[in-house]
Parts: sequence; structure tokens; C-alpha cells
Amino acid sequence: MKLGQVLRGYRITTRPCNDGAGKCMWAVAEKDGREYFVKEFLDPRRPRPDSMGTAESKHLLLLQCAEFERRHWSVINRIDPADLDAGNLVTAVDFFADGSRYYKVTRLLRHAELRHPHRLGPHQKSVLLGTLTDSIRLLHRLDIVHGDLKPENVLLNQPPGSDLYTAKLIDFDDSYVSGDPPPRDAIGGDTRYAAPEWLRYVRGDSATGPERLTTAADLFAIALMIHAYLVGELPGYPAVHASPAEAVNAGDELRVDLRLHPHVADVLRALLDRDPARRPPIADVAGVVSTPAVLATGHVDRPRVIATNDVSRSPVRSTRLRINMGTA
Amino acid sequence: MNRSNGNLQYAVDIVMCIDATASMGPVLDHVKDSALSFHERLGAVMGSKGKAISQLRLKVIAFRDFGDCPDDAIQQTDFLRFPDQAAEFERFVRGLDAIGGGDDPESGLEAVALAVHAPWERGLDRRRHVIVVFTDAPAHPLGSPAMTKIRGYPQNVPRSMTTLFEQWGFRQSRAALMENSAKRLLLFTPEESPWTEIADDWNNTLFFPSRAGEGLEEYEMDEIINTIAHSL
Repeated sequence: MKLGQVLRGYRITTRPCNDGAGKCMWAVAEKDGREYFVKEFLDPRRPRPDSMGTAESKHLLLLQCAEFERRHWSVINRIDPADLDAGNLVTAVDFFADGSRYYKVTRLLRHAELRHPHRLGPHQKSVLLGTLTDSIRLLHRLDIVHGDLKPENVLLNQPPGSDLYTAKLIDFDDSYVSGDPPPRDAIGGDTRYAAPEWLRYVRGDSATGPERLTTAADLFAIALMIHAYLVGELPGYPAVHASPAEAVNAGDELRVDLRLHPHVADVLRALLDRDPARRPPIADVAGVVSTPAVLATGHVDRPRVIATNDVSRSPVRSTRLRINMGTA
Repeated sequence: MNRSNGNLQYAVDIVMCIDATASMGPVLDHVKDSALSFHERLGAVMGSKGKAISQLRLKVIAFRDFGDCPDDAIQQTDFLRFPDQAAEFERFVRGLDAIGGGDDPESGLEAVALAVHAPWERGLDRRRHVIVVFTDAPAHPLGSPAMTKIRGYPQNVPRSMTTLFEQWGFRQSRAALMENSAKRLLLFTPEESPWTEIADDWNNTLFFPSRAGEGLEEYEMDEIINTIAHSL
């Protein structure tokens, strides 16, 4: 796509770029007076009669395109925009091929800037985490694994005149049906928020087959995110490991911040279990975060003392550098 | 840097195909400066994401025009490992002069073909194989006898675009030389043949049309880094 190009009625209004993206190009577009976010996928390319390649290759490519379309539509069609919990999912409003390329379109969100969500009050945190867990609860009810939960894929929306923030969940391009993930070399995700079983799967562990990649992988990620939203950093783990999942796989325990309310700490520890089957369902998490009283964490704006063998943890980023990059 | 046996190890290989003909003179210095600072900037971005590259290798293929002067139509390095071989990389890049080429087109497709045939890393846990093309010109078609009969013309360059396409490959292709989930092609080229056709038909390709008189700018190096840092 190019600046000024019109695709299915969407006029591209910004120079396409790959800022924050490794598997797509994106740009802002306008249609009928509304702004949209348009993503152009890098793979696959849909062959045309005059495209390069042998007849056999074009046949195989068309089969791949059919599978690509099926996978995306399977996620899109499972989510009913009218569902009460769907209001904070930023879902696709269009998905189509134009020429050899595939595009996905979502409404453009102008999100709130909030550098330190852990400094919010308990009621504000409850609303933020409640809207986030409601969205994940809907996905899991539909047997969909988000597949790339992390603060960068949560846009915060602040209604005019309100001091509350709601969480808008974006980027379903790495989503899959529970137990049926993409192949090991193609599965998406981010090691910082990945579950231990995801890491073992990527590394080719023969004991971790695709059936082990379920909605429970999201639960590990949401525990890390809640911890970060509440205290501004991930749980502690020995610096010898590059991520929480690696620490857990090595048998090290993740250290939940002692300033957290015991109820919250208990739920997070359970969610961070190495065994996916032992993690509580998202409904349990939603129940806990719906109680503002347990989300009070005291003076969390001052960094706590970290043991010298702890990693230097990046603070949570609640907002995006871009607009809604990565939305599906 | 990997820190424990259980951590994911990332391998990044990059081949920079750089047009070193006379018309690139105004921009070649920018290309060189950016190439020399590339590995440090990539490391910084990866670090900000809490990730570290276990192995980074860069290779440069400078191309001109076999039809103009076969002797210097291709100059290239092996894959050079960073930071250990940074000095060798710097010596080569600083030694590139923007000369020759004659009229358009140039031998850019030969450079891409040589890049596809490069000995890409196949080990470690996750890999990113990136080919970057910088040119201000269209390219000679492959298979022209006027080119292939020239002394020194690389024998492993395919004789047709169809064959080169098959070597680039796709997920289920049988003739691919590139690893589908690892590969990326970034084109900083004009909107001319064959670059537009490649951008249309080759998967995992990002096309950033260049404008006459403009060279490698800050945002272009950022786009290369984005391709690596946000997809590993």
C-alpha cells in the first residue's frame, strides 16, 4: 500500500511503515469520514495469473492463502461484537485481499497517555483490570488463545470527563484455537510475557506438543501484566534467566511483590504455575480484580529494593508509541 | 548474549546489497555510516525489549553493472560475525567507492540472487534472515545471454525470475533456499522493474520506494531494525 492509495474504499493517509511491527506494514486510512488502522500482511502473497512461479507453486500458494483466510475468519467470526464482553476487544471491521496482498482493518483508537498505571488508585485499577479480564474471559469462553498478551497490546481509553481508564485489547493476529497453535517456527508471541510451555514448544521440546498450548498460556501472561500494572514491574527472578518463563522452566520461583494484597498474590502465584492445568480460570482472576480494596498496594511509586541477583526489570508500558499497531 | 541454557537463542543474519555505481555517490556515504552503526543500534533496541541477540552476522554485496565492467560488478564479504569482525566489516564498507555502472539498469538482481544463496545460519532457536537492497536503478533481467556469457558472471545466479522466485520460496515450496519463517526482504529501491514485481509476488517483502536524489535516511535504518527487533 502507498500513501494516497485507495483500498476497498479506505484511503491511506499516512506513509506505510513497520514501526513496532515485524510481520506487517501498517498505515492510517480514512473512509466515509472515519479513521481506520490498516495492516498489510507480509505473508502470504496471493498469486495472480501473471505472478511469478510455476503452476504447481501457484496451486500450493492458493492452498496456503485459503488456510490463511480460514484461520483469520475463524477468529473474526467467533467473536460476536454484540456480546456484552466484546466492547473492549478491538476486532477487525474488514479483512480482504487486494491484488496479491492481504489487509485487515480496525477502527482507529486514540488512546490515553498513562506512563505509570501502577500509580492509579484502587478503583481505577479495578476498572482497568476488570475491562481487561472481561475481554480475555470472552476469548477463553470462545476457546480462543490471544497468543500475544502484553501491555503493548492493551490500549487505554479514558472517556471524556472521567478519571477512569478502560483497557482495549488489540492484535489478534497471533491468536489460535486452544490446543491448535501454529507450528513451532511460526507461532507468534513475546518471550517477556510468554508462558513456560510456549517456550518449551518453540524450543522443540518433544514433550510439549501443540495440545499443551491452550488458553492457560494467556493466564501466565495476564498474571505478569497484572503484577506490572499494580506495582510497575514484573515479578522477580534470578538474573541468569532472560524471562519469567525461562526462570520457571529452570525450576526457579517467580517472586511476587510483597506489597500486594495476599488474595492478589495468591492468585498471581497460582497463575504463574509451571503446569498450565493448575492455573485458575480467568473468571477467578476477574473476581479478584473486581474488588478495589485488594488492589491497594501502598507506596508503589517508589522502586522497592531489589536483590542484587534480580534482573533489572523494565517498567510496564501502558500505552503505545503508535496508534493501534497490531490490531486485528 | 544468552544467559542460561534454558533461554531462547536468537540468530540474526543480514545481507546488505548496496548499489555502488556512480549515481549512488551522494547517498553511499549515508549507507556506509548507517551500516557501520547498525549493530550497536540493533543491540540497543533489542535490549530495550529485554532481548539479546546470541549471534549477529552481516554480509555486504556491493554491485554495479556486469554490462559496464565485469571486474568490479560484484564485491562482497563473507558473513562477518559481530562484534568480533567489526573491523573487517568497516574496512570493506569504507573502501566502497561509487563508480561506474554506465546507464541504467544495474546488476541488482544478481546481488539478490547471491544473497539468497548465502550460507544462512540454520541453528539456534529463532532466526531472522534479512536481505536489504539499496539502489536507485532498475535491474537487468536474469538470463540475458549478453550478461550470462560475460567472463566472471556468477554461475549460481538463476537464469530466470521464476527460478529466483522459487529459490526465495514460500511456506510449502520445495525449491526454496530461504527459510520461510526467518526471511525478510527490504527493498529501498525505485518503483521500477523488477522491484515492483518482486514486492508484489515475494512474501515477507517490505517495499520502501526510494525517491530520486534521496538516500538512506534515519527512518530507513529504523525500518530494518524494526524488521528484526519486533519479529524475533
